[in-house]
Amino acid sequence: MASHGVPRSNQTEKSQEARQQELQKIEKYQDLGRQVHQKVSDHEYTADTLKLLGDLLESNPEYYTIWNYRRRVLQHQLSQTDAPQAKLLGKDLQFLIPLLSKFPKCYWIWNYRLWLLDEARRLLPLPEARKTWEGELVLVSMFLSKDRRNFHAWGYRQLVFDTLKQLAEAEETRTSMTQKEFEYSDKKIRENLSNFSAWHYRTKIIQRLLDEQSASDAERKKMLDDELDFIHQALIDPRDQSLWFYHQNLMCVFDPSVAERTMAPNLSVSDRVQYLRNEVEFIEEMLDGDEDCKYIYQALIDCTVLVSKVTGTRSDSDRDQILSWLSELKKLDPLRKGRWVDFERSLS
Amino acid sequence: MSLVSGPGRAGGSLSRPDLCTLKHVAYIQKLDTRKDELEYWLTEHLRLNGVYWGLTALHLLGHPDALPRQETIDFVLSCQHDNGGFGAAPGHDPHMLYTVSAVQVLVMIDAAHELEKGSRGGKEKVGSFIANLQDRETGAFMGDEWGETDTRFLYGALNALSLLGLLDLVDVPKAVAYVQSCENLDGAYGVRPGAESHSGQVFTCVAALAIAGRLDLVNKDRLGAWLCERQVDQGGLNGRPEKVEDACYSWWVGSSLAMIDRLHWIDGNKLAAFILKCQDPEAGGFADRPGNMVDVYHTHFAIAGLSLLKYAGLQEVDPI
Repeated sequence: MASHGVPRSNQTEKSQEARQQELQKIEKYQDLGRQVHQKVSDHEYTADTLKLLGDLLESNPEYYTIWNYRRRVLQHQLSQTDAPQAKLLGKDLQFLIPLLSKFPKCYWIWNYRLWLLDEARRLLPLPEARKTWEGELVLVSMFLSKDRRNFHAWGYRQLVFDTLKQLAEAEETRTSMTQKEFEYSDKKIRENLSNFSAWHYRTKIIQRLLDEQSASDAERKKMLDDELDFIHQALIDPRDQSLWFYHQNLMCVFDPSVAERTMAPNLSVSDRVQYLRNEVEFIEEMLDGDEDCKYIYQALIDCTVLVSKVTGTRSDSDRDQILSWLSELKKLDPLRKGRWVDFERSLS
Repeated sequence: MSLVSGPGRAGGSLSRPDLCTLKHVAYIQKLDTRKDELEYWLTEHLRLNGVYWGLTALHLLGHPDALPRQETIDFVLSCQHDNGGFGAAPGHDPHMLYTVSAVQVLVMIDAAHELEKGSRGGKEKVGSFIANLQDRETGAFMGDEWGETDTRFLYGALNALSLLGLLDLVDVPKAVAYVQSCENLDGAYGVRPGAESHSGQVFTCVAALAIAGRLDLVNKDRLGAWLCERQVDQGGLNGRPEKVEDACYSWWVGSSLAMIDRLHWIDGNKLAAFILKCQDPEAGGFADRPGNMVDVYHTHFAIAGLSLLKYAGLQEVDPI
């Protein structure tokens, strides 16, 4: 669609020959389109039509109507008596792989693939359907190693994982599957600490893991401690926004207004305050050598503000601390001056 | 409307460029004459969106009559199907994305009454196409009969229905609840429940809540904090943490901030300067970043971004 990240080309006039070639390409493309429309309106739902649809989609996978035609043809073929359903679906899943590799950000291809998989789930015996869906985790891992932030691929992974859980037979399998996804997020984060998509995925998987294990409050607290250790180690680079957003996510555990949506919802007031004070202490040490890093001041302010949210009061010393960090922040972060001025006003 | 990129490229080197209004008007006017380029045909699936982007940009530039009105109406109506929905171009399947653009275009040029003519079934027919795409259990909206669910479609549905005065055809409270289920702890929103926060999705979710009159549900400070961190040192905005800036996020992020009264949390002057560097001062049009190919999508969102910042000479845009 729109040209994202396409560098400018040299704007030389096209030669007569190049113009002719382009016109021929247009003619060929339009001719293919006309053939396809004709076949589909004549209900010619044959292998030959499927081939033509494939040719057209290879030259333009954004042509969403053609994906719908393909669904209609395939639906017809799948509904024939004794249709080799597994084979038909498998072949089409295979057809999509080179297209996805070439156009990994095309909504319509991912979307069509999910439709095929839903058909597999609807039509094939359970073990076979499960096997088909399992293959998708491998595939999507491949896409995420090529582009670790691909939005489509992460969303797809989530949908595949959800479905695999529904298709799993035993409760035990379900929990071990979640454990594996947790390890996957670990692997992706360790490959590149800046990968916020992986950190985000981790937040969701942790919740599920604890819920599925019916984890006790003590077990939840243990998970929290492990995660705090993990992020503290990662924060060796204090200028990476992804890490601070994960840190902020963990701090939500201590925020009474959202704690119930977090991994450890039942901490006591004194626990929350203690954790927050420890964080402030840890983060303050980070200032040594990184006095010009705005994220550090932001986190210090956030944690200290949270303390008063938990206790319901704010000490004068906390207030003075906040104001002194804020004055640094206003110098270091001129882009967001409006935000800091608003915040300052809210303190008085 | 053609979605062909180029021919120009964003300048990028000018120190303090001004908005080249007439160049952009001419660029948009010429888009539909580029039928000798393969890309014109390869982008046919966006034609109706393209009309909306081009026309809105022209309205904001103060040249609302720069495209022939009757031809625009005829083209929009030629994309309608018997079920009331619109496709991207004649012969393309009906889909939420194009139905919303069709309604937006017709309303913008004060031609919604054209839907009442002949046997089209009136605006109610369009409304029922949209309403039938709501999942009455979850409140979410699908793009078409094949079932893809995305908060883009939910916003589109509420936007078009409110323009038609037909919001009562759908379950608005359920739609609102669905939007809430897409909220993450960072205060921002994803494409589906559980999905990573994304500026484009923040716009669709916040605007949907605005239309439903439920902005009270937004955690404005938290979301505002996430959104203003999208501004990078060069002045432009990105879509997610640690990604590169892009002129189109001037709109997605900027309008979201405006809806929650926090547009002043970013540096508007620096953003405007970045957007202006994305324009091609000779052939018109805007690109995603300085030095890249221009296209009508970025042209529209860049101009809308400037308008949001109250850039001199532009009509003021409604953030929703």
